[in-house]
Amino acid sequence: MKKVLILLFIITSLMIFSTTTIRVISSDDFAAFRQEAIKRFEELYPDIKVELLSVGYNQLYQKIITTLAVDPSAFDVIDVDCIWTPEFATLGLLEPVDNRLTEDMKNNILESAMNIMRYNGKTYGLPMFNDVLFFYYNEDLLKKAGIRRPPATWDEFVAFSKILQDKGLVKYGSVWGWAQAEGLICYYTLLLGSFGGQYFDENENPVFNTGGGLKALEWMVDSIYNYKVVDPSSINSDDRAMLHAIANGDAAFGFNWSFAWQIFNDPDQSSQVNKIKVALVPTGVPGIVSNTSSGSMGLAITKGSKNKEAAWKFISFLASREEQRRQSIEYGAMPIWEDLYNDKEILTHHPEFSEMVNQLYYVTDRPSLVKYQEFSRILQIYIQKALTRQMTPKEALDKAAEEVNKLLGK
Amino acid sequence: MIIPATVVLLLTLFYPIVNTIIISFFDKKLFYPSFSTFVGLSNYKEILSNEEFWSAFKITIYFTIVSVFLEFVIGLFTAILLNQNFKLRGFLRTLVILPWAIPTVVNGVLWQWIFDSNYGSLNGLLYQLGLIHNYVNWLGKPFMALNMVIIADVWKNCWFFTIVLLGALQTIPKNYYDAAKVDGAGFWNRLFNVTLPLLRPAIVVSLVLRTSEAFKVFDIIYIMTKGGPANGTQVLSYYVYHTSFEAMQLGKGAALSTIIAIIILLIALVYIKSLMREEVEINA
Repeated sequence: MKKVLILLFIITSLMIFSTTTIRVISSDDFAAFRQEAIKRFEELYPDIKVELLSVGYNQLYQKIITTLAVDPSAFDVIDVDCIWTPEFATLGLLEPVDNRLTEDMKNNILESAMNIMRYNGKTYGLPMFNDVLFFYYNEDLLKKAGIRRPPATWDEFVAFSKILQDKGLVKYGSVWGWAQAEGLICYYTLLLGSFGGQYFDENENPVFNTGGGLKALEWMVDSIYNYKVVDPSSINSDDRAMLHAIANGDAAFGFNWSFAWQIFNDPDQSSQVNKIKVALVPTGVPGIVSNTSSGSMGLAITKGSKNKEAAWKFISFLASREEQRRQSIEYGAMPIWEDLYNDKEILTHHPEFSEMVNQLYYVTDRPSLVKYQEFSRILQIYIQKALTRQMTPKEALDKAAEEVNKLLGK
Repeated sequence: MIIPATVVLLLTLFYPIVNTIIISFFDKKLFYPSFSTFVGLSNYKEILSNEEFWSAFKITIYFTIVSVFLEFVIGLFTAILLNQNFKLRGFLRTLVILPWAIPTVVNGVLWQWIFDSNYGSLNGLLYQLGLIHNYVNWLGKPFMALNMVIIADVWKNCWFFTIVLLGALQTIPKNYYDAAKVDGAGFWNRLFNVTLPLLRPAIVVSLVLRTSEAFKVFDIIYIMTKGGPANGTQVLSYYVYHTSFEAMQLGKGAALSTIIAIIILLIALVYIKSLMREEVEINA
């Protein structure tokens, strides 16, 4: 009996030691997709087990930074937002993967997608999807109001919203995610670019307090208090909380990421299945067709990981064409491979795909700074002060520019 | 046998405190802990001249005073009520513990939904009663959001005072009240001349505890508003959290924590000095 037990013990310990476990932390936006992909991955590689920790986006940065500060090997794979790459790379958190990239990856993944994982000439992982804020509108509500097409300019946006409100079809034309969080900067970037503004000039001085940047904030304040077409609760809703109103048909217009498409068409989460379509984000200046903010994320291997081989296998699996195709068809994500944009399967199964692809030509990125987090926080606080009418937009942005100058050591 | 106990006490109590105070004199960052230089009092100078610190300080003082005051008053009167004899007394005394037993995080989410501007029950109730004609965005304006968070916190914590004061009330002999009634004392008279003086020790303890907890409030702010809108609910603890873990400046965070600890110490001293006088005697 004893011999049998010892044998069993040896066999099980061998089994445990021969499987590698990699720990992955990621945002919960595509958690459902990633859970399914993990099952497929583990079938392909039976000796690798994947533990996935899904965290709300707004908690992700904190969790990664504080955990890795104490134990650099706590995670093998981390989700990296495009705005974190400069900082994470500088802090030595990420493992460069330039020598692991295949020719196929180097040549056929969209430049704009690969760029989010690059800093100072090194590549730190693979992008997982190509994301921007899309303009979602409720076609059904527009039809009921007698409006034949979605608005193409912000003036039309205001006018159409008023028509919908006057007809009692919605309480407010649109709801946004302007709470004091990173999402606010994405919306501000969308508007700043669509009014022809910039964050910094050629000499790296902040200029968002003038021109398009100023017009963007003025429009935000006016849309709530003057035109009254934006739900005031936008001030304390983030870009995930605002989805309820659109999914319930309480608002007709909303701007959100690619994962929202799947939520709007899930009968368990939305009453507007198949009614919500995508159009180009409206413009504020005649010369500009459209503008939106980018928000892609990728997966990277941590420098402290003890299972870098397995981690790379997992990352390249999720970046593979089959998985990217699945992610697009089932979850509405935009793929990273250039050739997938002409993929027949995706085009037939994802009805809004070609509309969404159009938006990818009109994108503004948020600034690429090592001190991005502090920069973002300064801007968030002052934009909020303008939105809560404690300061005028000009005052708020001027003060923000002053503090950004101090932050960047000018 | 005292030595092991002392060692444990030293390690768990004094080491973290002393270490924090030491860190506050360096410019330590979260990510390069060994590369820190001595900066003397400059962390303290930077903090005390920073507008954001004073704003957080004011908000924290307001939060503490208003919430502790409300909790104390509600707690005291419910304790007096529950000290009376009536049928469902036992049941109510147990019920009262429920809000206090809810984790703060759950309480925060609960009230967040109640105050939701589109789907919240507060809006629904007031609208149906005809008291408001438009839904209100309770957490959308800085000062109003602060007051709403106070309501959520008071609802959960006033029962602490109820329980502590109820316990103390039960030690007051009934014949003191009888004697006072015979002398012609009404409710308020009895309250201020018999009840409160005899409750003094319990009041001091519970006030010191709740005030220092209220001053250190963090989790309900984190859940309900994250310091917004426009930093309108950013209390000192949230500011420390942001400085240490978001801006990654451990040195400044340590200095802030030290400042907060000193303030709480002063508050406790004030309470104890002013409320703990000599033993109170009632001449029957």
